[in-house]
Amino acid sequence: MSQPMNQPMSQYSVTHADFTITRVYDAAPARVYAAFADAEAKRRWFYCHPEWQVEHDLDFRPGGRETVRTGPGVGNDGGSTGSGGTVHLCEALYHDTVPGQRIVWSYAMHLDARRISVSLVTVQFEAEGHGRTRLTFTEQGAYLDGWTDVAGREEGTRIGLDNLAQDLRRQQAA
Amino acid sequence: MTKHSALHNTFTITRVYDAPPSRVFAAFADPKAKAKWFSPPPDWVDVKQSVEFRVGGREHSSARDSSGVKHVFDSIYYDIVPDARIVYAYDMHLNEQRISVSLTTIDLQAEAGGKTKLSFTEQGVYLDGYDDARAREDGTAWLLGKLGESL
Repeated sequence: MSQPMNQPMSQYSVTHADFTITRVYDAAPARVYAAFADAEAKRRWFYCHPEWQVEHDLDFRPGGRETVRTGPGVGNDGGSTGSGGTVHLCEALYHDTVPGQRIVWSYAMHLDARRISVSLVTVQFEAEGHGRTRLTFTEQGAYLDGWTDVAGREEGTRIGLDNLAQDLRRQQAA
Repeated sequence: MTKHSALHNTFTITRVYDAPPSRVFAAFADPKAKAKWFSPPPDWVDVKQSVEFRVGGREHSSARDSSGVKHVFDSIYYDIVPDARIVYAYDMHLNEQRISVSLTTIDLQAEAGGKTKLSFTEQGVYLDGYDDARAREDGTAWLLGKLGESL
């Protein structure tokens, strides 16, 4: 997630853009998959601003919802009123969950009351030999009303996937 | 093809309808108007349709084709701007098999002479080899033709 850019806002425009990120993790597919499926595990790596507090609900099954509410003020006095800075709200729906192999979800991203994007995400997990996993993260997005910071979205996703590598190493060492 | 494959594709279909944006929007927003075009072929049976047209609302449509296969469409509305835009995500199933998940953006622009330019963009992932983008694009073009007739 990145900060809002000061772009001229044309009314009701849509920009469609896709990106794919590939990572190889030194952990078996079942463990990498669990880092998405288990709420506690996911909270350790998924957010690219570790200094922000996160309100997170995850119902990981087809038809289940996920809500992530974060930002500089969330969890502090200013969080609920918005006086503590921009609130980032992600509302997701899980469509497809194949244990150890694939997850598909859709989500809308909001900055305060403004809906900035709707996306479809596919994560594929493939065994690579030597207990490794190749992860392919594909995001197909519709960016709304002048919000076109696709590069920022991709960068935030890369940070999260790098955090996941560190978390898997930490868990292995523990 | 491996058992659990996922192929991504995007297509856009553009149509100009001889009706203002408010009427084209109503063909999506009003369940009775939508049923005139968003419906299975006439020989399909067990047709079930329900719509909650609001952000966060769900839509369901299912029917059996002449060979007995059940086709199921389940959708969630993510963004609605009256007379201008609709964004939804949907699953398609054949019987119990999920064959695709898609993100659809419908963009309506007023054109001179009381016409509307509709852009239908679908970003999709096709699962496990059961369907492909070409067939989906053809089916969507057929539906948008029926929409034009209903107007």
